[in-house]
Amino acid sequence: MSTDPALMSLAEVASAIASKRLSSHEATRGLLHRIAQWQPRLNAFMEIESEAALKAADEADAELAKGESRGPLHGVPLAHKDMYYDAGKVVTCGSLIRRDFVATSTSTALQRLKDAGSIRLGSLQMAEFAYGPTGHNAHYGPVHNPFGLDHVTGGSSSGSGAAVAARLTYAALGSDTGGSIRVPAHFCGVTGLKTTYGRVSRAGAMPLSQSLDTVGPLAQTAEDCALLLGLIAGPDPEDATASHAPVANYVAATKASLKGLKIGVPSNFYVDDLDKEVARALDDTIATLKSEGAEIMQVELPDQRQLSAACQLLLAVEATAFHKRWLIERPQDYGPQVLMRLQNGLAIPGVTYLETLRWRGPALAAHVAATSKVDALIAPVAPMPAPTIAESDVGNNSGAEAVIQRLTRFTRPINYLGLPALAIPSGFTRTGLPVGMQLIGRSFDEATILTIGAAFQRAADFHQKVPAL
Amino acid sequence: MTEVAGIPVDADVAERIATSIGPAFDGFAAISGTLPFDLEPASFLLAQTLEAGE
Repeated sequence: MSTDPALMSLAEVASAIASKRLSSHEATRGLLHRIAQWQPRLNAFMEIESEAALKAADEADAELAKGESRGPLHGVPLAHKDMYYDAGKVVTCGSLIRRDFVATSTSTALQRLKDAGSIRLGSLQMAEFAYGPTGHNAHYGPVHNPFGLDHVTGGSSSGSGAAVAARLTYAALGSDTGGSIRVPAHFCGVTGLKTTYGRVSRAGAMPLSQSLDTVGPLAQTAEDCALLLGLIAGPDPEDATASHAPVANYVAATKASLKGLKIGVPSNFYVDDLDKEVARALDDTIATLKSEGAEIMQVELPDQRQLSAACQLLLAVEATAFHKRWLIERPQDYGPQVLMRLQNGLAIPGVTYLETLRWRGPALAAHVAATSKVDALIAPVAPMPAPTIAESDVGNNSGAEAVIQRLTRFTRPINYLGLPALAIPSGFTRTGLPVGMQLIGRSFDEATILTIGAAFQRAADFHQKVPAL
Repeated sequence: MTEVAGIPVDADVAERIATSIGPAFDGFAAISGTLPFDLEPASFLLAQTLEAGE
């Protein structure tokens, strides 16, 4: 365990505050000190609420002194992607259009974290309306990667990835519609959990695609993700798609061994056209998992390009439908890349859209059949490490979609199937950029991928590397 | 198509849209037009439930 409070994991700091080895004030002040140093370089925060955070920390400390605890995150300072409605707070969604939007209610996921005792540090940067995988934002500027400032963070949870990596927050909520948690986790060297579609309520979270949107955490460790998932998962009267499937003890799952677990390695698609250093990290991760007791098997998956295409068509139509009024009234207020992508959705016929929805069931059934002999799959999150900000600033040219496609090639199929996936730091390139792998589980079986991720993190220390200023 | 959607775009934008979204149509072409008559979108939730219950 680190002695610097800012470098502790979420589980460590929550335990330290609960046992009064550390005050919430000290934890909050430590993060604010790092934020002051890093924010000018990273642009990870949309809003920093220093005074309010310290006041809330002092209140939390006073409650603890009286023997009162609100829950497992009592006094833990957190910041989240700026798309989770928080009553009375401005929630920009990374956009100009919602620059002054004040939420009148609080999102279910955020409320559950507040109910567990967490306090608000501020809000985190993101891609405009969560519709971009690079980390660029035409209105608020790009977020910079803490491991290489001229590189992107990935998106759309760009601020979440950068802030967790630089230890400016102990964890952050992100959202994943086509890869928006896993790509920043991969590029920034943090752990990110894309939850099963329906596992976590989306009530009060900005919508992008109602069929694909998922809420999940980015944090230092699989254990931290497990802790947060246990708090935010479960049914919600405000979101009819939030499942009643049992919520497992995810933290307990992170203590389990890999013995007896079978992990599949796709023999196609996810191993094609990988950058050398990503391919090496995949091989090394597989070797570590094997040495920890997992059985490794090759698995031949159905055509993932079809899944990716279906995901793209589905996402394009649903996003455009959400934005249609503003596309008519305020097209000039969108950044060029987001406007281009929203315009793409206008060109997709309703029949094609419905076909993408109708095919999801058979596509998931085919995936289940192909993976019936394994408990989870392992694959790279993306075929390459983080590109530079300059080379991925694709604006509204016709090549933009191709760049976006390559970045999200390995993540979109999983969104279409609605499956959970845990991105874990799995290595570094020669130039010091992080590389991540995704562990893909069965529907509503986040526990197994958290078991695998935590076991890997007991054997390897990539998740503990802290970027230098 | 964009006119039908109520948001007409210039010819150059229409061309760019076609270039951008074309590969997705191509990727889905093998599925489009082949689905069984009585297949509903809700079959996805059934497949999810079945998998979770296994």
